[in-house]
Amino acid sequence: MNMIEVEHLWKNFRIPHEKRNTVFETLVGLFDTKKGYEEFTALKDINFSVKKGEWLGVIGPNGSGKSTLLKIIANTIRPTKGRVKVNGRITSFLELGVGFQPDLTAKENIYVYGAIMGFSDAEIKERMDAILDFAGLKRFKDTKLKNFSSGMVVRLAFSTAIQTEPEILLLDEVLAVGDMEFQQKCFAVFERYRQEDKTVVFVTHDMNSVKKFCDQALLLNHGEQVAFGDTEEVVEKYAIVSGESNYA
Amino acid sequence: MIANLWNYRHLIKRLALSDFKLRYKNSVLGFFWSLLEPLLLLLVLYVVFAHLFPSVEENFHLFLLLGIVSWDFFTKGTSMGLNSIIGKPSLVRQVYIPREILVLSSSLTAFMMAALEFGVFAIFMAFSKVIPTSTIIYFPAIFLILFFLILGISLALGALNTYYRDVQYIWAVLLQAGFFASGVFFDINNLPENIRDILLLNPIARILIMLRQSVLYNIVPSTGDLVFCSITALAFLLIGYTIFTKLEPGFAEEV
Repeated sequence: MNMIEVEHLWKNFRIPHEKRNTVFETLVGLFDTKKGYEEFTALKDINFSVKKGEWLGVIGPNGSGKSTLLKIIANTIRPTKGRVKVNGRITSFLELGVGFQPDLTAKENIYVYGAIMGFSDAEIKERMDAILDFAGLKRFKDTKLKNFSSGMVVRLAFSTAIQTEPEILLLDEVLAVGDMEFQQKCFAVFERYRQEDKTVVFVTHDMNSVKKFCDQALLLNHGEQVAFGDTEEVVEKYAIVSGESNYA
Repeated sequence: MIANLWNYRHLIKRLALSDFKLRYKNSVLGFFWSLLEPLLLLLVLYVVFAHLFPSVEENFHLFLLLGIVSWDFFTKGTSMGLNSIIGKPSLVRQVYIPREILVLSSSLTAFMMAALEFGVFAIFMAFSKVIPTSTIIYFPAIFLILFFLILGISLALGALNTYYRDVQYIWAVLLQAGFFASGVFFDINNLPENIRDILLLNPIARILIMLRQSVLYNIVPSTGDLVFCSITALAFLLIGYTIFTKLEPGFAEEV
């Protein structure tokens, strides 16, 4: 069964010459005949599908549209043209610690973050000890988040996030933020997800983890789909593409 | 849509509660600080009007305070709704949740804050030895109409303010005007008929009249007022929701 289907997906962004952000500027703009913006095409005719239990690695240089693609799959931004079909509950880790409030305590933030991830209060309560244990922050459960170091915040967010039982998981560079120990923990969780047959779309610059985890890979460059298919071949192609742009 | 909101009830509750806590900075004192402004307004208006017009309403201080507290609910609710989308950019950009949740939870936060202020009003009533009569049963219905009016306006304002950031300044001015046009500190029925009829087009003016009737003066609110306000609240909900769904797809790019 296809969990994600993407057909002829296009996404244009408007880049305003002068950003009109007020009613007043918009009214003035009505009398201004020249076009106030340029179209920027972030994704051009993307086609792929991901089956249940498959891991798709999305790779490509900076600005190639990887994160835009993930956000469209997550439904936070909408395509300009084309179709995206998702069959299943999505959990997105585009950013860890979404909705964290510095003035709330660790415990309170776990409740809010857990609710964003779709948990009820009772379900979070059950998992509270496990979350704090995994993050190694039990002593600080009643400390306000503003007094945490950035590493502690990330650990707290990650421990809460992995409690979810997603069908489809979107990961954007989550590995980039942690130290070695944190990355090891991430890998352990990834192994678990692999065994549990989760469907994952994974954006990263780390080719080793792409080769290690992904069944398929999608290579983007300037919004175009350069290659899609077997991981080894696509990663090889990426080396050639980036080699060309380096020596061009 | 309502079934969808039900699926997200845990999140709605959490967001409303945590914003409520943050408003009062997690302290009981925070609540008392928040009372200073309405109480000061009560004092000033009372001193001025009780002297200017000696023949004011019976229990004028309660008349005033009920107006101030209800108007405060409207002001806070719509202002928080206005900022509900742009105030939580990461919840708009990084995860997908139905965005009307953000507006609804801000209205619920305002609802809880209003409940506290009405509690303070009840204490004033008790001290003044005014006992509510059976007409108080209309109070929850009127309060609910006010809540849905706030929610409808918030849906429109929250969406519009995401695209046009000066909506908040325009709304602040309209609120200033509304304070004088809603009969917060006077009885609209004492005005010349032509002015009165214009002011009665404002649903808040009618809601204040009905609240005072049911809570303070043992009068059953008129069916005309109840129907007028229910229909306006429903109309604002529909218009607000239409504007909201029309603008919602672009939120993540504009916020």
